[in-house]
Amino acid sequence: MGKEECRALLEALNKVAACYRHLVVTIGGTSDSQNLREELKKTRKKAQDLAVANRNKLTVFLKDKTISKDDRVEYERLWVIFTTCMEILEVDMRKALEMGQEFQLNAPKRNLIQTGMSGGTTGVAARAMSAQNMKYEADSNIDVVDLKDLENEINQVGEMMMEMEMKVNVPNWTVEAKQDPGAELQSTISVGASSVGMISLNEQNKSVCDITRLLAGIIFTAVLIIAVVLAVLVIQLS
Amino acid sequence: SQHKAQGRKQTPGRAPIEALVMEMQDPNAGIKMQTQRLVITAIPHAMTGSDILAWLMNRLQISDEEAQNLGNQVVQHGYIYPLQEPKNLLLRPDGSLYRFQTPYFWPTQHWPAEETDYAIYLAKKNIRKKGILEDYEKENYNALNKKINHKWDFIVMQAKEQYRAGKERKKGDRFVFECQERAYWLVHRPPVSNFQELNSISEEFSLIIFNQQSLMRSRVKSSVSLGGIVKYSEQYLKHDPIMSGCLPSNPWLTDDTKFWELNMPLVETPTKLRVERWTFNFRELIRDPRGRQDFQLFLRKEFSGENLGFWEACEDLKYGDQSKVKEKAEEVYKTFLAPGARRWINIDGKTMDITVKGLQNPHRYVLDAAQTHIYMLMKKDSYGRYMKSPIFKETMNKAIVPEVTKFTFSKRYWKSSPSPVILRQQEEEAKAKAATNAPMDITQLCKYTAPVSHLAVYTGICEPTSPTSPTLCEFPPSSPGLVTLPNSAACPSPISVAIESTPSSKRKLEASNSVASTHIPSIAEATEVSVSSNSSTTAVEEARQPLQKSRMALSFSRFLKRGCSNSPVFATLSPKCPSVNSSRVQPLDGDQQQVTQTKSKKITNFFQIKVDIPSECRIYPIDSEDEEEDGPNVAKSTEKEVICPWENLAEGKAG
Repeated sequence: MGKEECRALLEALNKVAACYRHLVVTIGGTSDSQNLREELKKTRKKAQDLAVANRNKLTVFLKDKTISKDDRVEYERLWVIFTTCMEILEVDMRKALEMGQEFQLNAPKRNLIQTGMSGGTTGVAARAMSAQNMKYEADSNIDVVDLKDLENEINQVGEMMMEMEMKVNVPNWTVEAKQDPGAELQSTISVGASSVGMISLNEQNKSVCDITRLLAGIIFTAVLIIAVVLAVLVIQLS
Repeated sequence: SQHKAQGRKQTPGRAPIEALVMEMQDPNAGIKMQTQRLVITAIPHAMTGSDILAWLMNRLQISDEEAQNLGNQVVQHGYIYPLQEPKNLLLRPDGSLYRFQTPYFWPTQHWPAEETDYAIYLAKKNIRKKGILEDYEKENYNALNKKINHKWDFIVMQAKEQYRAGKERKKGDRFVFECQERAYWLVHRPPVSNFQELNSISEEFSLIIFNQQSLMRSRVKSSVSLGGIVKYSEQYLKHDPIMSGCLPSNPWLTDDTKFWELNMPLVETPTKLRVERWTFNFRELIRDPRGRQDFQLFLRKEFSGENLGFWEACEDLKYGDQSKVKEKAEEVYKTFLAPGARRWINIDGKTMDITVKGLQNPHRYVLDAAQTHIYMLMKKDSYGRYMKSPIFKETMNKAIVPEVTKFTFSKRYWKSSPSPVILRQQEEEAKAKAATNAPMDITQLCKYTAPVSHLAVYTGICEPTSPTSPTLCEFPPSSPGLVTLPNSAACPSPISVAIESTPSSKRKLEASNSVASTHIPSIAEATEVSVSSNSSTTAVEEARQPLQKSRMALSFSRFLKRGCSNSPVFATLSPKCPSVNSSRVQPLDGDQQQVTQTKSKKITNFFQIKVDIPSECRIYPIDSEDEEEDGPNVAKSTEKEVICPWENLAEGKAG
């Protein structure tokens, strides 16, 4: 179903945007590093890919005149979520550029702000990339090198958003939120009606954790049993 | 939208505070760092307030107080935040701990704290605190939920994801991040005081009302409104002087002011175009005083003249002197509204009630309802009948189509008017005189003439001691006891004078002639002044009289040479020759005594257009003679330009 696809894509974009925000917040502080800059770059690229995918998918449906009224309402809602997400992303990208220029890691007199942060951001980046581990392969001056790319990408995003505004006519104010105030307190999935097919990372994690716990429990019990059996045997033998 | 922020240019100098904060980081020269001990973890990079203050004083070489102020500023802007009392945005000069804010949350102008972000923050806090938010936060949350409801799904999504992503960080960093966020929003969305709340509420409220009213406004399709504009343009094309020209001619181009005369508010015979306009719609008719006049005539015949009378009274109330509102309103009531009134208007009971009630507290617009009623009545009823009435038809038939002005290049006259100050004074004097003296026939026409046949008559009263006539001041001294004018106060001058401006040489003569003929009163006064020195108030004037008179003599001699209508004044006139003038001109000196005697008081001179001038008077081209004669007199005659400052100006240009 088209709607499910779109929702999934949107969820993915949302996740990456959230991670990107975490990473950008770290720039200029004591957790800043070349690795962080590389993480920023990779996360950004992923976000852009997802953005393009989202846009393409949604515009197809929005331009389709044959879809039902309810469907159209839903797509418009998704569209508004998409555009808002892009707005947040764009602002974060601009902030990243500004701070990247300000806090260049190899500059002689540049001192990072002592923010109280000391840990890394690998976990966040891995979450964004949906990867187990992050590989760092960039040069040691990526913080500077990346800035030009970042600028170009900001322009691209800006243009894309302009184009979207021009071509897709979805009035924001007509969209009604499906979530009530306080919906975040529930742990259900955030996008629209929950569908059984959707598996969020969290649930996956949960299920994984459960499995490992179960496995550990089983192994422990097994080891215990073996130990008991062996002890009994030893006692019997002796 | 958020993304409208401009990309940041690489500004060389960041805010000075930021530079200072950077310096504070210096491991050697910066602020001494401590570790904040919490229950579970220890977090580095904490500073005491006193250390910060000491550093500021030392680095900037400022006093205790200044450092305290500066420190407060730094905290209030959010570069540093307190750890133990987050809401207390002051730099305490003691052991209270502070920490630096991460650059992402530094205050910038490019990206103001956005609502969406704040909503996400509140949602995250909601998750973290399991629904326990502070009161002001709850209020803000609910308000935002209403205001940016269309973004709410995204906000919930993003809040959840940010919360989850935060879990990927180590516990200490997570805690720090939460502190940073909280500090940021305490700066940018502080717990609002009542006063601020009221301000923002009233702002929001007025915005809401404004938007509601905008929604209620009737909307018209652009095709309809464009059609309306086209129709309007087509209808009024002929009437637009710029697009279609105006008859007889554009006064600004040809200096022929006939156009303005023919279109005066209450002219006797309106132009055809004007009458045509009345047929467009009722508004055109009623806005034109002449139209109203005609319409009133018609209404009288139909015995509904009181309607228009009432309408006019309402207009007067609306736009007239507001200090008289009460009296006017009473008057209107007595005349139009009271039962059994002299000119009772027929309006429905409800409107009458409203109006009468309103009249208890009269103001500008108290009669609006009744006026509208009467207006619509006239529009729907009487207007149609008026258009078909014989009165209107007659007016239409009598309406004139002015001829195009003949514009000849040889006679390029430059014109300007006398100062409006003078004109007004003279008008007022004329009125006063008219009230006191025997009614004289005053014909005052426009001063500006074209090279076309046009008689202009100048009326005015010149006071011997009027200090405002600048022209008098311009008279250079001349020998006393000179020319008198052919015209005396006793009898109106038969000379009709047109004040025309002429090209250089012409102008001079013209000027002098007009000086002679038109401004006779002033000359006469001048004469009088010189003779009876006590009546002159300004020595300057006195001094100037004599010369003026000598000029007068010269000009008159010239005048005499020419005979009758030599004066360009009469150039294009029908042969109305001032032969009469010549006869009058002769006893110039003889008359002087008479003149001076009669002019011991205010002088009123009235000129009339004389019709019975012999036809054999020739009209001489002036220029040639002028040029021959004007050798040494040129300069003088230019200076002599009397009551016509414009002529001075013109001559100044030409000369």
